[in-house]
Amino acid sequence: MASVRLRGIRKTYGDNPVIKGVDLDIEDGQFVVFVGPSGCGKSTLLRMIAGLEDITDGTLELGGVVSNTVEPARRGIAMVFQSYALYPHMTVAENMGFALKLAKMPKAEIDQRVRHAADILQIAHLLDRKPKALSGGQRQRVAIGRAIVRKPEVFLFDEPLSNLDAALRAQTRVELARLHKDLNATMIYVTHDQVEAMTLGQKIVVFNGGRIEQVGTPLELYERPANLFVAGFLGSPRMNAFPATLAGHTGGLATVRVPGGGMAQVAADASQAQGAAGLTLGVRPEHLRLETGGDAGIPGRLALVEYLGDVALAYVQVDGVDGMVAAKCPPDAPLPAPGTSVRLRFDPARAWLFDEQGAALPALRERVAATP
Amino acid sequence: MKASFWTIAGAVCAIALAALWAFPLLWALSTSLRPELETVSANFHWLPQDWTLDAYRKTLGAGNVVRWLFNSFIVALLVTVVTMAISLMAAYAFSQLRFRGRGIVFGIAMLGFLLPFEALLVPLFRTMHQLSLINSYAGIVLPQVVSPVVIYVFKQFFDAIPADFREAAMMDGAGPLRVLWSVYLPISGNIVWAMAIVTFIAAWNNFLWPFIIVTSNDMMTIPLGLTQTYDAFGVRYAQLMAAALLGALPVALAYVLFQRRVTQGFLAASGLKG
Amino acid sequence: MRRDDMTLSAGPTTARRDTLPAWLLLAPFLVAFGLFFFLPALETFWLSLTESSLTRTSAFVGLDNYHTLLNDPSFWDSVGNTFYFSLLTVIPLCAIGLLMAMLVDRFAHAQGWLQGTFFLPFVLPISVMTLIADWMLQPSSGVVNHILGGQRAWLADPHWALPAVAIGTIWWTVGFNMLLFLAGLRNIPAELYEAAALDGARGFTLFRTITWPALRPVATTALILQLIASLKVFGQTYILTSGGPFNTTRVALHYMYETAFTQSDAGYAAAVAMAFVAIVILLSLLQVWLVKFLAGRDA
Repeated sequence: MASVRLRGIRKTYGDNPVIKGVDLDIEDGQFVVFVGPSGCGKSTLLRMIAGLEDITDGTLELGGVVSNTVEPARRGIAMVFQSYALYPHMTVAENMGFALKLAKMPKAEIDQRVRHAADILQIAHLLDRKPKALSGGQRQRVAIGRAIVRKPEVFLFDEPLSNLDAALRAQTRVELARLHKDLNATMIYVTHDQVEAMTLGQKIVVFNGGRIEQVGTPLELYERPANLFVAGFLGSPRMNAFPATLAGHTGGLATVRVPGGGMAQVAADASQAQGAAGLTLGVRPEHLRLETGGDAGIPGRLALVEYLGDVALAYVQVDGVDGMVAAKCPPDAPLPAPGTSVRLRFDPARAWLFDEQGAALPALRERVAATP
Repeated sequence: MKASFWTIAGAVCAIALAALWAFPLLWALSTSLRPELETVSANFHWLPQDWTLDAYRKTLGAGNVVRWLFNSFIVALLVTVVTMAISLMAAYAFSQLRFRGRGIVFGIAMLGFLLPFEALLVPLFRTMHQLSLINSYAGIVLPQVVSPVVIYVFKQFFDAIPADFREAAMMDGAGPLRVLWSVYLPISGNIVWAMAIVTFIAAWNNFLWPFIIVTSNDMMTIPLGLTQTYDAFGVRYAQLMAAALLGALPVALAYVLFQRRVTQGFLAASGLKG
Repeated sequence: MRRDDMTLSAGPTTARRDTLPAWLLLAPFLVAFGLFFFLPALETFWLSLTESSLTRTSAFVGLDNYHTLLNDPSFWDSVGNTFYFSLLTVIPLCAIGLLMAMLVDRFAHAQGWLQGTFFLPFVLPISVMTLIADWMLQPSSGVVNHILGGQRAWLADPHWALPAVAIGTIWWTVGFNMLLFLAGLRNIPAELYEAAALDGARGFTLFRTITWPALRPVATTALILQLIASLKVFGQTYILTSGGPFNTTRVALHYMYETAFTQSDAGYAAAVAMAFVAIVILLSLLQVWLVKFLAGRDA
């Protein structure tokens, strides 16, 4: 049984609370991604699961057994480090077999397991080399091989792709996904890169400041963010945030006053909102349309356009909004010259409202059926 | 920096300085290859007129030079091995293990820097007397194995090793001692060699402590024994120079063979990067 | 955000796991340290407060030894000799060491030889240096007098004995300073020189504006190390001149040795030792402070 259960986990360094109460269930065989900005505690949590850090408070259950004080090597866990941590004086084969040697496994069996893992990862031809004779990508595979060989219940990955270049990263992502399918093992993966999170995770846990912001599938988090943080974290360029004031409900849709004085409608239920002011309207760049005429929408001035080949990013200066608002446009759309006044429009079903605390206001059921 | 005035001036300077520095040893060599009478003759010659290995033959035959060389070798070897062993263990404990009082114990160990060995001569002598170790190998070796410098250098080195290796080893199931043996020691090869050679040289050259603790002629180490030669040989300078050069030979060889490591070791010991 | 400071993440579990192996690993060192450093240090302190012989500890006499010390002209003479020796060696050692380092750095292709020539004396035992020095300084057959002319007995001359020992010491130990400065020189990025060269600086200006400022920390270290080492001089003066002639080369540690082993007055010797240590610490602190002050003023 390779499930992981965290209840009320807390970690404090001296007076400094780093993990402030985490509850999480990870099922057998799931690929779970911990994602969040630097310093949010995701790596610390991973290390606590591994046993490299002590747990100040709360329980950690591995396969149903409380494991707070169990030694790392006895938890049925293997970890792939960000720096790979390959022993420089050992060959690849020795690196991969080290744990088994310590467990006093017979040499024949060690060799067999090492060879098997090497074949899966296509590094069998490197078994006699030392780490310094390997490329970054090869070292990373050895690190993974070292984990596979131990046949653990749970695999832990600590930002394993961050030391690879972009092309290699994309390729390795695919391979990791395949590995998960082949081994059918529970995998917990830590990263700060939201693209990795979205593509690899079956379940994503978004961390911020030592707490979980939201747990869900990639699509759930993207389409139904629970708060402003999650909404802004996933998606690139990030979701645009406009200060808004609630003006009422019309035809079942919430009406808000937007920067520039006009009104806009959002498919959200603001009836439970605490106050009318201080709301935030969120619209993703791909849902903003740029228009040059008319009174509808949010007024602004086009500052700059970036042509990326498959899409054009238009950056608009809007009064009352810090930073620039980004809108994705088709690559060959005719766009006005920089400096032109433009208006930003969107579909009510493609926008969110967040209250003063940043929590998302419930979406209306209509949006499920809303047209793109 | 291609101004040729400076280059020429520099070259001249370098040659002059090198000549000056090499001179004493070369002169000693020249002296040692002459017959005794020639060294004190009124006719001064830079090179031997009458080349002979007499001085070396007499030196190796008379007195206890061979015995002293042997003693020095034993002592230096023991000091090196023991110092390396206990320093590596202590440095690893200070660097990688977490235990209560670690900071305090390390601070106390580093006090060794503050107090010069010289101030402890009398009590050390008495301690050795009580342990009946006067004039013995153990007596010469033991106080020299306490080396805060070596521990400090190793600790710095261990600190700089990324913690990932230790953690990976822990996850692989290695206990703290196993981590030291299988991971840290193999990685430390270079620095251990450097410090070992430096320790060997220092132990070989140590004058003060053997001077205090050794009371009989045949337990002397070379630095000690060489000072005895003043009296033993009277004013036989060729033999004295031969003895001096013989005493210098092992460490000079060690330096020539391991120049880089020696340099690295001394630099590390002084606190700068090698 | 890594776990750099181990103590921070030392929770109860890991501390428990590490404690026993830690003490096991530390045990040999701690035993040796206790027996051969810590206890003797305490004993020195205690001895200085007693009237003792070399083998027997006797009556407690409080600060008597220290009072005697303060009024003992021999002690203060020996301290003076030590300071004089420091004066003669510290700055030349650093200056010549710097010069050598710059030459070795400049003539990189001859490096092995050049560096080796300058450094080799440092690895030699003290008695090799003293034997050779004694031979070279012989009044009638010594090579120094052959070159300079005259029949002066350098080591027997009250004015020249200590300077002669100092020069011998410089020959013997300058290699170490050279090494320090060499490391310092090599840490200066080449780009600084390149930029300065483009700006038109050459020769001495380069030294003044780039090399020296970058070397200042190294120079400081070298000066401090050299000062402390020179204060601890003993072997050379003991072997070459036995502290003479007329005690002009009797340095502080030599005085301590004599008191302890020749006069068998361990208590007084211990007081001398303690006073000596105090002087060394004081001077070191003074020098560190002085350097910081000067650096702060320039910065």
